Amino acid sequence: MLYPLERIIFVLAVFVSVGLSWVTFSKMFKVISRGTDPIDWKKALANFPKGFGVFLSQRTLFKTRPFIGGIHAAVAWGFTLYMAVNVVDILYGMIPGFHFLPNNIIGDIYRFFVDIFSLLVIGGVKYFIIRRFLANDQKLIVNKPVLLSESAKKGMRRDSFIVGMFILCHVGFRLIGASFEISLHGSDWSQPAATVLSFVWTWLGMADGSFVIGEHISWWLALGLILAFLPYFPYSKHAHLFMGPLNYMATKERRSPATLEIMDLEAEDAEQFGASKLEHLPQKELLDGYACIMCSRCQDLCPAYTTGKELSPSAIEINKRYYFNEHLTSLAKGEETTEPLHKWMLSEEALWSCTTCGFCVDVCPVGNEPMVDILRIRQDLVLMESKFPQDAMDVFNKIETYGNPWGMSPQDREKWIEGQNVPVMREKGTAEYLYWAGCAGAYDDRGKDISKSIVKILNKANVDYAVLGNEETCTGDSARRIGNEYLFQMQAMQNMENFEKYGVKKIITQCPHCLTTLKNDYGEIGIELEVIHHSQFIDQLLAEGKIKPEKNLTDKITFHDACYVGRHQGEYEAPRDVLQAVMADKNNLIEMKRTKDQSFCCGAGGGNMWYEINTGKRINIERFEEAIETGAKKVATSCNFCMIMMEDARKVTGQDETMEVVDIAELVAERL
Amino acid sequence: MKICVLVKQVPGSEAQFSVSADGSWIQETGLPFEMNESDNYALEEALQIREQKDEGEVVVVSLGPDRCQKVIREALAKGADRAIHIKEDAPYNTDPFSIATALANTIKDEKFELVLSGLQSDDLGFGQTGVILGEILGMTTATLVVGTEIQDGKIKVKRELESGWFQWQTMDLPASLAIQSGLNQPRYPSLKGIMGAKKKEIKESLFVDMCDIDGLQSFNGLSVQRAEKQTEMIEGTVDQVVSKLVDVFKNEIRIN
Repeated sequence: MLYPLERIIFVLAVFVSVGLSWVTFSKMFKVISRGTDPIDWKKALANFPKGFGVFLSQRTLFKTRPFIGGIHAAVAWGFTLYMAVNVVDILYGMIPGFHFLPNNIIGDIYRFFVDIFSLLVIGGVKYFIIRRFLANDQKLIVNKPVLLSESAKKGMRRDSFIVGMFILCHVGFRLIGASFEISLHGSDWSQPAATVLSFVWTWLGMADGSFVIGEHISWWLALGLILAFLPYFPYSKHAHLFMGPLNYMATKERRSPATLEIMDLEAEDAEQFGASKLEHLPQKELLDGYACIMCSRCQDLCPAYTTGKELSPSAIEINKRYYFNEHLTSLAKGEETTEPLHKWMLSEEALWSCTTCGFCVDVCPVGNEPMVDILRIRQDLVLMESKFPQDAMDVFNKIETYGNPWGMSPQDREKWIEGQNVPVMREKGTAEYLYWAGCAGAYDDRGKDISKSIVKILNKANVDYAVLGNEETCTGDSARRIGNEYLFQMQAMQNMENFEKYGVKKIITQCPHCLTTLKNDYGEIGIELEVIHHSQFIDQLLAEGKIKPEKNLTDKITFHDACYVGRHQGEYEAPRDVLQAVMADKNNLIEMKRTKDQSFCCGAGGGNMWYEINTGKRINIERFEEAIETGAKKVATSCNFCMIMMEDARKVTGQDETMEVVDIAELVAERL
Repeated sequence: MKICVLVKQVPGSEAQFSVSADGSWIQETGLPFEMNESDNYALEEALQIREQKDEGEVVVVSLGPDRCQKVIREALAKGADRAIHIKEDAPYNTDPFSIATALANTIKDEKFELVLSGLQSDDLGFGQTGVILGEILGMTTATLVVGTEIQDGKIKVKRELESGWFQWQTMDLPASLAIQSGLNQPRYPSLKGIMGAKKKEIKESLFVDMCDIDGLQSFNGLSVQRAEKQTEMIEGTVDQVVSKLVDVFKNEIRIN
């Protein structure tokens, strides 16, 4: 179709364009290689089906915003099809007389799909452009007071505009070109949209000569545009097209979303613990920045962001991405960065606002882990700089001296068992299950209520168990999430010694934070324990008929999912089953708007139990108001931190007389 | 500037206390221990003075049984350069004069320009050690110090008086200062500090070798205060009841 001169120009342009883009891409991979913990590319390659599967199925886009996800899928599938279309079209342009399977049913089907997907892509991208630029959808914006770099502020809209217009023009002109071809060669009903368009040209009175010129112009605007866009492509967020699936392939398996690798604190040559600068982050987490398309789904339920704090998980990746762009050459060359991450990637306050609820990691369609970045930067500030909230220091000191974050006497840890008929390990010697009360379950008044309910249930079901009593000490959860790996390891060693002494293999606990730490963080150290949450254990006892609570709860009740039971362990049903076992009418369980894997944190996780972030609204109030909205009289929890936060919010919101916060175990125990 | 910090290990304030079997001291098994609170502030003050001048040495000196190694390591982790541990076995000496004498004998050849101690220990609470030590070594002394400023060959201290009043006093060096809690923000040791502390020197000596005098005072026995509730019924005519009540408020409960 093309004239010889056009063909020569096209070939030259391909070399220039691909060459420029190649240079940039190779720089990008050099940037990624600046990180620690090298990506095992062989393993990543073996993960190709996973990455490609996500790409093809688009399944990660439907967790939240399913409508937008659907439109994205149409655009993505259309664009994938266009990879083939572009090849065919290049052949059509470059080889005189080339037509792809003319007068052939397969060729017709191909043309039909291209025609339909052209419409879908154009429609979808138009929707995206309207949503961002005309409707100003707040979900796509990072609000104040979040730290956003100047280049990110400028770049976000510009990038979106360029990418949107590119897709629109590329696909649009391809469709127009096809319509001109139809005008030249007669209608083709395998391409309904192009054919209809060709009628428009006829109606406008266009002559054959202008169709030829039009087809050439359209060809260049469709395919030449790719060449123009290609050098810019790696700089734009559109690179997520490759980097997203690649990110899935390079995924690091974690025992739970907030369980980081164990640090070798004794390592002689270790100069740095945690991440202070960009090059201290693992390669996979640098790749995160390139994979991010800035959809900001991660913000939607971020407890810190939605209550007006300085943290946005999205901004972490966005700032990272624009930092890469700004410093591409120097980073690729291997020059040291000078600014610490907590000066440009996120603010210090943002860093401490993260409750490690895990939503951002769970929801990210491209497998990013902004929460993990936060944990690594906290490690640096605690271990290297000794710079963290004052209240957190008090907690460290209390855990060190007293073995619990409340700073209560270790000799009082087993006081809660007085008059409870609870076997203690040092007397019993061994037991099938260790009941782990945890610091909250041993010292906090409401926590003790939960512990007492659980031992009542265990006694009723004749479970062979014992507690460690005064030998129990903090698991180190809060210490680890705040970044104090040293203190965490000290606590772990103490507890692991006891587990060994009494041959502990199975643990029941009502504290999801203890659970995660015992099961996953200790597991990472090298001790494999079977740790079960009380919701699951009680559910099991119910199923086996070992306990039979009366089904006489008539109040309307709502259930608040604990992040470390839900998103971190994937357990949503067991606590609900337990509730149903005591409810007279199953319809009295009213879910809050945000529930299960999209539940909203109570605000206590990640060490936030122990210090105050004074910016914005308090997270537990936000959550409790949601509970109030359900009209339920009881808010059920399955975590002692959630209990404390909800109890506090109940009083602050003036619901002390009207509502009640209860643990699922309490509801069962009082009906035995 | 060469600074000595006296650091004592004391039972944690939240611990549950009971009297030991022989009644001479508290039962120690299972008891959590920590650095004496005001000593922690004294240490921080010393570290800050050294950091301001960017030269000098901070030496921690602790007297007590082997368990004191924990607070010594903690002080070294926070940044003290080296330590001296005067070992003492139970029964512990509770006489501030003997303790100050042992400390003085230990550090007299070190020629410290400044000795910082916590205002008082959270266990015995005599509040005398720093002062007596200063006296023995011929240093100027000050107590209740809430601020320091090193000047040429002298030190200006801010002292806390009653009712929100303060006193500024310029003193000659060497000086022994008893530091009040709250004058600074004690740091948390970095991991580098903790690891580095393992390699720092702790010189050990024995209390019996350092103290050549008999204790001037000692405990005869310890008892736990018992809280008791008591109800007293006031009887009589209304006038008698009222005047008795007023008397109780005035003289027993002391309501002004």
